[in-house]
Amino acid sequence: MQQLLIIIKKEIIIALREKLVLVLGGIMVLLLGIALYAGFLSYQQQQTIITQKQAEKREEWLHQGDKHPHIAAHYGTFVFKPKTVLSLFDFGLDAFTGTSIYLEAHHQHEFMFRPAQDHSSMIRFGELSATLVLKVLIPLLIIFLSFNAYTRERESGTLKLLISQGISFGTLSWGKILAYCTILTIILSPFLIGLLLFSWVGNPSQAMPDETLRLVLLTLAYGVYLFLFISFSVWVSLRSSTGRNALLILLSSWIFLTILMPKTVVNLSKSLYTLPSMREFKEAIEQGKVYGLDGKTPRSERIASLEKRLLEEYKVDSVHQLPFNFEGVKMQDGEEYTHKVYDHHFGKIKETFHRQNRLSSFASLINPFLSVQNLSMAFSGTDMYTFLHFEEQVETYRREMIRKMNNDMAENSKYGEFFEYAAGRDLWEELEDFSYQPPTVGELLQQYRLELASLFIWTALFLLLINYTNRKMKPLHG
Amino acid sequence: MLQATNLTKKYGNFTALNSLNLSVNEGEIFCLLGANGAGKSTTINLFLNFIEPTDGTASIQSMDVTKHAKETKQMLSYIPENLMLYPNLTGLENLDFFCGLGGKSYEKEQLVELLQQSGLQPDFIHKRVGKYSKGMRQKVGIALARARQASVLLLDEPTSGLDPKASNEFSELLLDMKEKGVATLMATHDLFRAKDTGTHIGIMKEGELIEQFASADVSFQDLEKLYLKHMHN
Repeated sequence: MQQLLIIIKKEIIIALREKLVLVLGGIMVLLLGIALYAGFLSYQQQQTIITQKQAEKREEWLHQGDKHPHIAAHYGTFVFKPKTVLSLFDFGLDAFTGTSIYLEAHHQHEFMFRPAQDHSSMIRFGELSATLVLKVLIPLLIIFLSFNAYTRERESGTLKLLISQGISFGTLSWGKILAYCTILTIILSPFLIGLLLFSWVGNPSQAMPDETLRLVLLTLAYGVYLFLFISFSVWVSLRSSTGRNALLILLSSWIFLTILMPKTVVNLSKSLYTLPSMREFKEAIEQGKVYGLDGKTPRSERIASLEKRLLEEYKVDSVHQLPFNFEGVKMQDGEEYTHKVYDHHFGKIKETFHRQNRLSSFASLINPFLSVQNLSMAFSGTDMYTFLHFEEQVETYRREMIRKMNNDMAENSKYGEFFEYAAGRDLWEELEDFSYQPPTVGELLQQYRLELASLFIWTALFLLLINYTNRKMKPLHG
Repeated sequence: MLQATNLTKKYGNFTALNSLNLSVNEGEIFCLLGANGAGKSTTINLFLNFIEPTDGTASIQSMDVTKHAKETKQMLSYIPENLMLYPNLTGLENLDFFCGLGGKSYEKEQLVELLQQSGLQPDFIHKRVGKYSKGMRQKVGIALARARQASVLLLDEPTSGLDPKASNEFSELLLDMKEKGVATLMATHDLFRAKDTGTHIGIMKEGELIEQFASADVSFQDLEKLYLKHMHN
């Protein structure tokens, strides 16, 4: 233990006296600071707009005046995806998925205001965010910090002197690994403190009740990921004969793990599980609405069938004799059929998304970068799963809104009298304001179990590998 | 103290060391002479357990170095041909670090004294080792050996490349340690230094110890003749 502490202290002192480490460390602190501050400003700005607009739209809904419920259903309203305070850390898919959606009868609209639309194609390479620095650039710092952990000792001859003092390779390796972990903690501390402060300032409880737990899990996931990079670098250095070889292996691995493989997985998932174009998708939905899901049941037939069924059920000859406004029931029936059409086509899209994500999850078993990327977005609430979860709640809300309008129309107005009936604020108030309940941490852990398994397996593998290599190692070959 | 019994090291078909038998007792300085590739450094490396012997044993205080690596290393101090220290640490910090690893804890003043006793100029004690000459680094090595209170000293051509004054100072320090009962095994090319400092001399050729004798039994001229005779045969 004493030896371990002495090694840690020595490695830290030496690293802090290296100009390259100081310069790179300083750049990382600066980049993280900029990313954090920019992320916070963006979060604050968007959150303010969202809160304000959400309140405005609610007021508009409540104060729309007396009108026919179906007109109100078309007048509709907007809902906004709340920004989570952790999205300042990882923007995730927010730039691509959009932030607001218009809710009205008959149509399940797509999300609007996607920040990516306002950017050039360069956004695909990633905006400067804290997660980009942590996932991609900090590993580069780790490589420059530790590629010569052993090779420099070997090349300069200090390794022989160290081992002649009775120190084992195990103590030496762990001393180096823990020293680099400490240096990294020092570099990342201002960022972590800043993130905590911004989380408090950002009034987190509004959007995400379990934000503290998510923050802890985020820290843990990144901690494990960076520990893996440190262990890998030290292990490569231990196995390499020269610093040049170690650096070459580590830089090649970095390019493969953080750039090539993630891009390849995305392209592969897009090729294997193709999404229809927006035009094809909308056309298919329109066809489904007009001609039925089987293509043989047109809308007029469905209406005639409903009319026949109701007339038989209530034993009357005309829809005028029904104890409710047939128009309202017809609207709701049409709406429910439209739901089936949307569920069918959106279901296929969601299944494709699910398959694409599953490929990325499986690939994360090979590449911990993908694990931390997926977990980071998940805990920040900016991943595809959370987006689809939000979309589902929005659609449930829209359907409830339309159902209320149609039911009111059926119960309170007469068939053939459209403009004569007007509902008022009592009805609008029946529809509660939209409030999103994000998935719990438990759900996320279940959803991202492969990513978690990947980090666990890689950690176990590296611990075994380092211990095995330490046991077999001699300062000289032979 | 130091004992090699049928100590052999082979790399494939090449025999680097063949059935070496030697012993070095307390207060003795055994100098191994020989050309490059004679097996001198291999012998030192086997005692350090840096490489595994193919056959035979190297033991310190009757303990096999391969089976009691930690215990035997605690008894020894090693100074290679070119003692490399951490250039970003001062001489004092290097000494403190290596002493700490060996389980020896000293006050700063004691370490300064050890460095001064080993001949390091006071001005350089607090300077980074990157600015040291080879001789200065070797002196830190001697200070380390003293600080560790090693009973065994393994030296691999420690005076190679040192100027005569530094080399002479180094020999004096070795003699001082010899007086304290330290058993020293030194690989060297320097016949003069071997005769001057060593109590015993062994001549190695092609992995074999072909001759060994007490230093006092030969004159420097005889030693030179004997050495050249073996090298030319």
